[in-house]
Amino acid sequence: MKRVGVFVCHCGSNIAAVVDCERVAKEAAKFPGVAFSIDNKYMCSDPGQDLIKKAVEEHHLDRIVVASCTPRMHEPVFRRATENAGINPYLFAMTNIREHVSWIHTDREKATEKAIDLVRMAVAKVLHTVPLEKSSIPITKRALVIGGGIAGMQAALDIADNGNPVVLVEREPTIGGKMPMLDKTFPSLDCSACICTPKMASTDQHPNITIYTHSEVERVDGYIGNFQVTIRQKAKYVDHKICTGCGLCETKCPNKKIPNSFEAGMGNRTAIYKAFPQAVPNKPIIDAANCRKLTKDKCGVCAKVCPTGAIKYDDQDELITIDVGAIVMATGYDLFPWKEAYGEYGYGKYPDVITGLQFERLVNASGPTSGHILRPSDGKEPKTIVFIKCVGSRDDVKGKAYCSRTCCMYTAKHAHQAVDKIEDSHVIVFYMDVRTAGKGYEEFYQRTVEDGVHYVRGRVSKIYQLGDKLIVRGEDTLLGEAVQVNADLVVLATAMVPSAGSGEIAHIVGFSTDKDGFYQEAHPKLRPLETFTAGVFLAGACQGPKDIPDTAAQGSGAAAKASAVLSNRSMETDPLISQVNDAVCAGCGVCVGICPYRAIELKEITQRAGGKTIARRVASINSGLCQGCGACVAACRSGALDLKGFTNQQIMAEVDALCL
Amino acid sequence: MSDPSGEMRELAKKLLENGEVDRIIGWEKGNLWYQSPPLFITRAEETDRLVFDDFAINSLVTYLLDERDSGKKTGIFVKGCDSRGLVRILQDKQIARESVYVIGLPCSGKKDPRQALSSGASESSQVPPAAKCEECLYPNPVIYDVIIGEAVEAKAKGDRFAAVKEIEAKTADEKYAYWTSQYSKCLRCLACRNVCPACNCRECAFDISKPRILAKENNLSHNMVYHLTRAFHAAGRCVECGECERVCPMGIPIMQLNKKIIKEINDLFGPYEAGVKLDETPPPLGTYQTSDPEEFM
Ligand SMILES: Cc1cc2nc3c(=O)[nH]c(=O)nc-3n(C[C@H](O)[C@H](O)[C@H](O)COP(=O)(O)OP(=O)(O)OC[C@H]3O[C@@H](n4cnc5c(N)ncnc54)[C@H](O)[C@@H]3O)c2cc1C
Ligand code: SF4
Ligand code: SF4
Repeated sequence: MKRVGVFVCHCGSNIAAVVDCERVAKEAAKFPGVAFSIDNKYMCSDPGQDLIKKAVEEHHLDRIVVASCTPRMHEPVFRRATENAGINPYLFAMTNIREHVSWIHTDREKATEKAIDLVRMAVAKVLHTVPLEKSSIPITKRALVIGGGIAGMQAALDIADNGNPVVLVEREPTIGGKMPMLDKTFPSLDCSACICTPKMASTDQHPNITIYTHSEVERVDGYIGNFQVTIRQKAKYVDHKICTGCGLCETKCPNKKIPNSFEAGMGNRTAIYKAFPQAVPNKPIIDAANCRKLTKDKCGVCAKVCPTGAIKYDDQDELITIDVGAIVMATGYDLFPWKEAYGEYGYGKYPDVITGLQFERLVNASGPTSGHILRPSDGKEPKTIVFIKCVGSRDDVKGKAYCSRTCCMYTAKHAHQAVDKIEDSHVIVFYMDVRTAGKGYEEFYQRTVEDGVHYVRGRVSKIYQLGDKLIVRGEDTLLGEAVQVNADLVVLATAMVPSAGSGEIAHIVGFSTDKDGFYQEAHPKLRPLETFTAGVFLAGACQGPKDIPDTAAQGSGAAAKASAVLSNRSMETDPLISQVNDAVCAGCGVCVGICPYRAIELKEITQRAGGKTIARRVASINSGLCQGCGACVAACRSGALDLKGFTNQQIMAEVDALCL
Repeated sequence: MSDPSGEMRELAKKLLENGEVDRIIGWEKGNLWYQSPPLFITRAEETDRLVFDDFAINSLVTYLLDERDSGKKTGIFVKGCDSRGLVRILQDKQIARESVYVIGLPCSGKKDPRQALSSGASESSQVPPAAKCEECLYPNPVIYDVIIGEAVEAKAKGDRFAAVKEIEAKTADEKYAYWTSQYSKCLRCLACRNVCPACNCRECAFDISKPRILAKENNLSHNMVYHLTRAFHAAGRCVECGECERVCPMGIPIMQLNKKIIKEINDLFGPYEAGVKLDETPPPLGTYQTSDPEEFM
């Protein structure tokens, strides 16, 4: 005989004011299987929990029902109390007579009846529970960070400082991402490289961090605590173990006119190159596509001049496999390809229409113009500069519906820099709105306006070249009149979009992207750094457009999440997960595609059928991945899947208790 | 349409003789002129019994499920509608593609033995085309190893969802009255389930005793549980072969509810027809996507 104990909580007057708790307890005593029932003022208090223990001893109870508040709140407390009383913590059911009854009803009689019904259901449910045990899975104490921008570096450093090894994979030849390309950063106008390159160096030197640059993650198997990762280290053609980074090769390489992506196309580099002088690692690689030795078997000058003999023309890609317990995604952003979309701005045929990132290189003292704002076409200093915001942002026809968040501020920064650096300059910003939510941001924008920057509200409808001027036509929507500016330089604040290949890497790692291709967080408000895949976390602009302070904060946040996973040798898994009844499972696999956590695979079993042994496939749940959401249970037609702790039988028993 | 029986017999004979298949499923002429029941043969001598006449209306594909563990290879004849059922069974991984040799038969419409009986006709030419064939969109097999006969043009006229719209036009009370009057007729013979190519589980949820979701007694309440659950289990998977409605001895408009669900899926997820492409990307109700419409949240 099962012996259920029912405990009805008053929650002070929270429940008792509307529900006659004493009557609920008295009625509960009559339900089948109930051996003891009582009401109490505060079940969650120590005396309340002791009550459970005492009642179990005195009345030999083997199952517990608590009628109180939401399980979100105190289920763990009562499970522990059940366990302390010597009963398996899953032989327990909680029913909510506060949020579901007293807080939403006023009629005492009817509310009490509803509470009685809820307890009746909980008792029926608990009668069908079976003891469940937590299982544990081992944790590999190492993290993988994909992407070495400020987000990835911050995450790697914080995880490493927590004492766990980190592998940082960056596909470019240097870590750093976009930040070292920037000149100054809003709103403090401190030099971007000066705060970023020390971070790069610390990342490089940290004993717990291993960096693979010029590398990509090719394959990820496994699950939280136990990922197996395959990294492709692309051929560098320079042996970094021997290379001292002296840079002699770069000075001698005859192929000097290759556009440098670090300069956003505003400057050139050689075929053997470091992206910039502070690159980390501070050693060159050969860009095979542009190397005369590798393409035509000519030249070979770098090998001749290298004092250490580090050049390796026969270098090959290498595959590296590592085990990690947690993954942080930090693949950042790219800029919207405006040239393909904006015909009215010339599809990129006017050299003096540039992007914000190119402007960053122009004002940067270590950039191609040594920090002098000179326009690309003729190298002259522009006097009249037009900035256009929201190019590709907030434009669901040609671009993206969303706001890119950083452009208002960096355009204010650029406008300020233009006024500051160019005497007698005339700076006009075309804008849709000015959004300056952030500490010190509005003040920064106001200062720009005070600097004399002219803000015009409206979109630019056309740009065309006339002589050495760019004619910019738009509308001032506040004055309701057409505006024309004869500009020397036009700077477009282009939208931030997910970095190239981010969809593919999301697929490889096994989580989803949102409608714009940014990585999908598990909950937009409450779980912004998690994905639906346990053990995979998000940081920085890969999750959505954001500036450096938010990116760094997310890097640290994701690191805290990853460190929490790595802080244990093994991880307890909640037993409230899905289970498969092999005998019933037909192996149709509908659950495989349904599971948001990729926790289901088909596995082969052998069984006796029709007098012989046959092999067939059935679903199999990975207890490390299953989150117990129950999606598969609803999808499984034959009922081969069942959620432990919420079995179909338990739910049917509840329904029967209520309806029969 | 010329009579393909000759070709069918010849092919079946060859397949059995050279051991390419272990058995053949087709149709034979029944005892009555308006019956052409399924035929199962394993010996080449028997192939002369095969026919494909006006009454070869039964879909044969669910019989494949009986042999799913046998490791044997079956040669099976399929019409357009049947072939979609076969795609269903293959997509549900209940049999391997290699375990069937599919002989496609383009079909310009069959006749229903029950209509033959009720119309008082004395020969096939007097019997109207079967109701389900009037709405046929796929007269030609969508999957086959070999095809016998010329392709046929789809002649479906009218609206795929006309019957659904009739229901949608009713008030809630009228709908309830309509469906309860239909479901109270049900005998729970389960013929509709047994004939359905989407009902291909090894163990049907209705047959499982723990938990028992469907009581044995026949009453309106349980009949409704049966019909609504059946419709949901076929949701996004029903291939519109119309077999369930054809076999129902009580004339319950089973396809009307199936089509309502199909219409909803089309409205929510865009145009979709189940069982048309074997290697389609997962069907709308068979995948999890964060972009799935969730209007209630
Ligand atoms: C013109 C301009 C000016 C700006 N000015 C400011 C400013 O003044 N202040 C401010 O706060 N913010 C500014 N920002 C925003 C700032 O650039 C971003 O907030 C910041 O760079 C985001 O960092 P991140 O690490 O998320 O991404 P990123 O800097 O883009 O770094 C991502 C890294 O991941 C790597 N990666 C991508 N995919 C893969 C892959 N599959 N495998 C391996 N590695 C990969 C990339 O190569 C890159 O190194 C500006 C942005 C622009 C466009
Ligand atoms: S319960 Fe949810 S998480 Fe677990 S296997 Fe089923 S669908 Fe996946
Ligand atoms: S075939 Fe008809 S009578 Fe038989 S179970 Fe189905 S609906 Fe009911």
